[in-house]
Amino acid sequence: MFDTERVKLLAERVRPTAPSRTRLLPVLAPLASLLPDGGLRRGTSVRCGAGPHGGALSLALALAAGPSAAGSWCAVVGMDDVGPLAAAGFGLDLDRLAVVRSGPAHWALATGVLIDGVDLVVVAPPPHPRPAAVRTLAARARDRGAVLVVVGPWSADHELVVERSSWHGLAEGAGRLQARRVTVVARGRGAAVRPVRRELWLPTATGKVAAA
Amino acid sequence: MTALPRLLLVECPALTVPAVEPGAGGDEGGRRLRLFARVVDALAEVCPWIDPVRPGVCTLPIKGPTRYFGSEGAVLARVAEVVTTVMAAGPALAGEGTAVGAGDGAPPVPPVPPVPPVRLGVADGLFAATLAARAGTVVAVGETERFLAPWPVDVLGDPDLADVLVRLGLTTLGRFAALPAPDVLARFGAAGARCHRVARGLDGELPGWRVPGTSRHLLAALGRDLALTEHQPGFWGGASAADERAAEVLTDLQRRLGPEAVVVPVLEGGRGPADRCRLVPWRPAGTSAEDDRGLHGRAQARGGRASEPPWPGRLPPPAPARVAAGGTGERAGAAEVADGDGAPVAVTARGLLTGRPARLSVGGGPWMPVTGWSAPWPVEERWWSRGRRRAARLQVLAGGSEGRAYLLVVERGRWRVEAAYD
Repeated sequence: MFDTERVKLLAERVRPTAPSRTRLLPVLAPLASLLPDGGLRRGTSVRCGAGPHGGALSLALALAAGPSAAGSWCAVVGMDDVGPLAAAGFGLDLDRLAVVRSGPAHWALATGVLIDGVDLVVVAPPPHPRPAAVRTLAARARDRGAVLVVVGPWSADHELVVERSSWHGLAEGAGRLQARRVTVVARGRGAAVRPVRRELWLPTATGKVAAA
Repeated sequence: MTALPRLLLVECPALTVPAVEPGAGGDEGGRRLRLFARVVDALAEVCPWIDPVRPGVCTLPIKGPTRYFGSEGAVLARVAEVVTTVMAAGPALAGEGTAVGAGDGAPPVPPVPPVPPVRLGVADGLFAATLAARAGTVVAVGETERFLAPWPVDVLGDPDLADVLVRLGLTTLGRFAALPAPDVLARFGAAGARCHRVARGLDGELPGWRVPGTSRHLLAALGRDLALTEHQPGFWGGASAADERAAEVLTDLQRRLGPEAVVVPVLEGGRGPADRCRLVPWRPAGTSAEDDRGLHGRAQARGGRASEPPWPGRLPPPAPARVAAGGTGERAGAAEVADGDGAPVAVTARGLLTGRPARLSVGGGPWMPVTGWSAPWPVEERWWSRGRRRAARLQVLAGGSEGRAYLLVVERGRWRVEAAYD
């Protein structure tokens, strides 16, 4: 009945002509090689993690900086203490950044609402988010074409983890925190995807992100 | 939870239809949705914070417009006039006896003539405002709880709950509200507790009362096709479409969680990270002059970034990714700094440490070895006033060779974590 070749041809024809332009949110150049498409694919989620040395939030903010600078709105949920100065340092446009203090009871509601109108939501869910809430939000993001950048537990499409971190500039009673060198390892979903490691300054001495 | 906002609820009974698909052109539902979209569009002139709840129903916070129009009565009159005018100019709605929504099981809508074009009500929160509109009343300020009390419990829209309550003899919202909250939670679960909060006037939102995406559908009905614009910023005027979409959801969240729950950064002069950046409740662009202090501040911050005064004693970059929500206030997390012998480390009046920091504990947590620390930055702010404070900041690296970095502040011998370099 169905001519598979013709179906394929048809599928080819209805596919958007410039998917890379419309479906990808740009990221800052030093982060591009950590993502399989070189950017944040709309409708997907990225988990940012770190060891006890921290760095997950900086990584999340640096990821959000690209889309923000390109005109996207970004929102932060579940981190009432996010530092906007650091965000601005990475390149986020503070005129398009909202911080939502939802409290642990309403983080999922807030995230769900934000997905409807904001391109990128940085969310820190509570330690044990309900799997149903995670699934619902992921589906909603997929449906709306938003990107979820999650700081915390999440079964994300993509995972970036700060493996190593060392601060430069501070001695015993002298100097000051100047820059942090980190190793970020990127893993996609599925065993077929080989992990990618990159050395970054996160932040640099001027608060930006750069390849090390 | 903050007090519920005083809302004017506008209901156009002829336009309340079950959730309709936008752009399902030609059908009665689509006609109603388009007409309601025009009503909302026109009402935005009275109040830009207008909030479509579901097709045929919208609310607006009445405080602002009251200041502008002089009295709540004047606002009501203006709103009634706007709605009536738009509806009269609109296309004839199905009223000639044609069955409406036939085929998809939708209940037939009564013909237009006996239905008033608009019902208005004023009370605190969406729930009470809905009942106020049903009764056609303006509930006086502070009287919402008393207004709710005599209503039968089935207005909560939960038939199972209402059934049990009535059998228990709790026939009215007032009687239900009088039950102790823990008992309600134990007996009726989270959904029952939510209804209880609504009955007590503490919460204005019940699941199912709001049709998600109504604003979006209305915009689509007005012919502003968001789907086209959102992926092509700058081409179809997409930038402003993105702002519009964001404004919509941020307004929505503020209504649900309170104005303080959605904040935006404003850069200011100052020394510490919390002083240099304040978070203020978000306000949509173009609201009244009084309301957009935040926006003004942001514009100022943007314009003034280059010419920022060099604050002496200011913390050098990079800025910390986490800043204690209380800033320099009392809410910031407590910390302890000890030297190698376990004795607390302090800062002398001359700005020197009394010992070599060896261990750090944050918020009563376990001791972490300190591997690096800065010289203290003296903070002596507002030296000209009585509210002056002497404090010192210290950057500390704790937790081993790959340590986590903190910004501590010590004041009157007490250490706090002001920020963390996460």
